[in-house]
Amino acid sequence: MTYHIPALVFLVPFVTAIGLPLIALRDERRCRPAALAALSVMAVLSLMNLGSVLSQGEIRYAFSGWAPPVGIEWVADEIASIMVVAATLLALVSVLYSSPFPIQTLQGRSVPYYSILLLLVSGLSGVIYAGDLFNIFVFLEIVALSAYSLVAVPGGRALVSAFRYLIMGALGASFYLLGVAYFYASTGTLNIADLAQRTPGLLESKAVIGGLIFMFIGLGIKMALMPLHAWLPDAYSDAPDTASPILAALLTKVALLVWVRILFWVIGVGDAEQPAVVFSLVWVMGALASVGGVVLALSQTEIKRIFAYGGIAHVGLVLIGVGQGSHTGLTAGLFYLLNDAVMQCALFLLAGVLVHQYGVRTLDDLKSVNVSSSWVVGAFVVVAVSMIGLPPTGGFFGKWYIVLSAVESRNYFALAAIIITTLLTLAYFARVLERMFRGAPKSPQVPDTPLSFRASVAALAAAIMGLGLWSDRIVSVLLEATRGLGQ
Amino acid sequence: MVELIQVWLSRPNFIAFVILFLWGLYITVVHHNLVKKLIGLYLVQTSVIFFLVTTSAKSGATVPVLMSEAGSVNPEMYVNPLPHVLTLTAIVVQVATLGVSLALVSAIYRKFGSLHETEILNRLE
Repeated sequence: MTYHIPALVFLVPFVTAIGLPLIALRDERRCRPAALAALSVMAVLSLMNLGSVLSQGEIRYAFSGWAPPVGIEWVADEIASIMVVAATLLALVSVLYSSPFPIQTLQGRSVPYYSILLLLVSGLSGVIYAGDLFNIFVFLEIVALSAYSLVAVPGGRALVSAFRYLIMGALGASFYLLGVAYFYASTGTLNIADLAQRTPGLLESKAVIGGLIFMFIGLGIKMALMPLHAWLPDAYSDAPDTASPILAALLTKVALLVWVRILFWVIGVGDAEQPAVVFSLVWVMGALASVGGVVLALSQTEIKRIFAYGGIAHVGLVLIGVGQGSHTGLTAGLFYLLNDAVMQCALFLLAGVLVHQYGVRTLDDLKSVNVSSSWVVGAFVVVAVSMIGLPPTGGFFGKWYIVLSAVESRNYFALAAIIITTLLTLAYFARVLERMFRGAPKSPQVPDTPLSFRASVAALAAAIMGLGLWSDRIVSVLLEATRGLGQ
Repeated sequence: MVELIQVWLSRPNFIAFVILFLWGLYITVVHHNLVKKLIGLYLVQTSVIFFLVTTSAKSGATVPVLMSEAGSVNPEMYVNPLPHVLTLTAIVVQVATLGVSLALVSAIYRKFGSLHETEILNRLE
């Protein structure tokens, strides 16, 4: 029974997404409960999967019984299982949080909206579980197509942002597919486990190097790596406030996870001499992205855009950790990736609350209102502390392990980039917090923060604290799962 | 140099791929009309698919259907079917992307009354 759970995790939201027009045929208001039910079932299943993977080892699921490398394989190892649990729970929280938003904002399109949201979540679980490069391409495209449509939901400006995102994203997908074609032409296989046995000797081959570069460009667009990030701030700030938490939390992170998989599970295996150039390219790009991201975040005035650039910087931080090429670096990168998903979700959720409750979109708006809800302010402080990287939050431990890996590899430039990023992150959060705390003393009364807002921000703040307090356990699981990878 | 050119000329399909890919990329980047951008994008995607198919081409080979059960299978006789299967899936993805993008373009046209990028950006200001 436990063997089939990965497929079920994917199928539950997928089937619900397709059946949603039927479920909501009579009454549009059935959409949200149906989506919530599907996501809850998915959350329970993914937790069961995590439990069984942790106790009995990884599940390699072969579709229709065709054994890999001929058949399609899904790999539910510890890392994939943890990421799927995170993705599902974040999706659940962001759908829960959306309930006070009036359904009229969707203008009678709530059936397609929730269908696409569920498709997005099922695609995300597919990307995380998929065990071969082409399958990853297909799921990345499911995710991307759902994301383009979700960004475009509010109409107006958002249409243009969505179109720009679509052009960039589809070019990225083409580059990735080209890389996959190069890999297939030179190795004759697409299965990650199978590739791992064939590529290490082939890293001299120009075709493999070319394929790797094309994949990096393609995934770089998808993960919004610094020079290729132009689509992200517009897309995230124009996306509907109910969808941007889930987009911000997971879109870039899954592409990053795929890149980490290719780096360590495909080419990083075996003799460690040759991939060294690739790894130094990765950390240099990461360092540029993290410093550039925070500098741009400092120059923004719109709150959602500040957070979007903060997210770009954090993608860079993960790449710095991963680019050290060491076991510690890999674990640090993966742990920070998990933290970053939760933090980004929380940030965009809070930005949505600010818009809905107080009508605040820019820093100047924030000056003229009094953010009175202790739930919102408390959660914001927790997230800010975690983004900056102060104990005892998850962000601190993530950053700590990245610093540790940089010090272990005596990579002081990377260390400098991390420190600059941390200080500038402090600076841009100080700008936001200063305006939040110095709110206007006499401002119009706002209605009480709805229960679902309070519950969702509290849940995410608790998750951030939990990731810090139990970081020890999670990191030891990750260390165990990545044993033997990296130098 | 001559040898290099000879190597290139022996693979005209790859040259065709490179031309199509770069042409598409150029159109996507340079043109201001949104539909023309989509045409460029479509060209890029098609060129990648063309590349995938062309890697599996083999002269004198036939469709990968076993003619008889007897005797051993000679792989030289058959075309590699996998790139074709990948191509089919990639075409489906491409069609879906095109559908979403055309829907977006028509929504943009209805909203802004123009397909020209700079005009739309001016109207956004």
